[in-house]
Amino acid sequence: MAETRNPQRLRPWRVLAIVASGSALGLVWNSASGHGFPLSSNVYVQPGDQQVESAEAKGLIQKGALALDARPLWAYEAGHIPSALPFPEDDKFDEHFAALEPQLRSNLNVIVYCAGFGCEASHIVARKLKQHGIPAVVLNEGWPAWTDAGYPIRTGKQP
Amino acid sequence: MSAWRHPLIARVLAIALGLVFVYASHDKIWKRVQQKQGQPLPTAVSGPAEFARVIYRYQVLGPNATLPPQVPNLLAVTLPWIELVAGLLLIVGVWRREAALLCGLLLLTFIPAVASTLWRGIDIQNCGCFSLAGEGRRAGLGLIAADAAMFAAALFVAGVRPQRSRP
Repeated sequence: MAETRNPQRLRPWRVLAIVASGSALGLVWNSASGHGFPLSSNVYVQPGDQQVESAEAKGLIQKGALALDARPLWAYEAGHIPSALPFPEDDKFDEHFAALEPQLRSNLNVIVYCAGFGCEASHIVARKLKQHGIPAVVLNEGWPAWTDAGYPIRTGKQP
Repeated sequence: MSAWRHPLIARVLAIALGLVFVYASHDKIWKRVQQKQGQPLPTAVSGPAEFARVIYRYQVLGPNATLPPQVPNLLAVTLPWIELVAGLLLIVGVWRREAALLCGLLLLTFIPAVASTLWRGIDIQNCGCFSLAGEGRRAGLGLIAADAAMFAAALFVAGVRPQRSRP
């Protein structure tokens, strides 16, 4: 009995109590503080973002849609969608945009992709392009969706 | 009595660990993201959502084809508060061993999460440990070492039962 009253004894239920109280505070904070965000939505995806699946993207690209690779250049060179142009998401958006503006303006369909679910770059590039009047869509799940589907790829600097 | 079991050592380590965890929770709870001029506003404009962005980059809990965004989002919302509660308990010295054990368990999950990004070649420029701003600490070997050191400290605080008086 003396042991159970020892205040220094480690009690596992207290660990669970800390987790439960922290979780409850977090959920309340998220819903009531104004700092929260909707739990059911992907934070990379903003209302108005348009996404296409890989099969649809492949069809559109075959019909002349312009694909843009928002990953770093080394990733582009290691493998990219054939005909895709590099458009890395970095702080040189204006430079990249100026270089490709004629092609972007003359294409009805622009599809941006990056490294998959953990990658936000394609959403950011597509959003910035939209601000410049280019109706860009994002390839859902990006590069992994393309390669998992077994679609052709190209390596090197050539599109 | 071994010098290591001196109550002061566990207490100081607990306060240090508590400060780290409270500091780690700060941005994830309180931060507000300022919109840059001319930049599109991200959906997420607060600490919790920014932290969710970081969790997505780890590609451990999704979102992906099988895991819906609710899974990483729930972690983004609850983990900072668990860190805060555990950190405060460590600082004030209430439920100290349990709070330390929990911090140890958390660190024990962070280490494989970071290691797996290195293994899979995912470059995470900001580990989301403290600051959520662009130039945070890179998820790398240095971070694993720091986590391991804190894990050892947490385990020490959790494992050592300070002797209040000699028998």
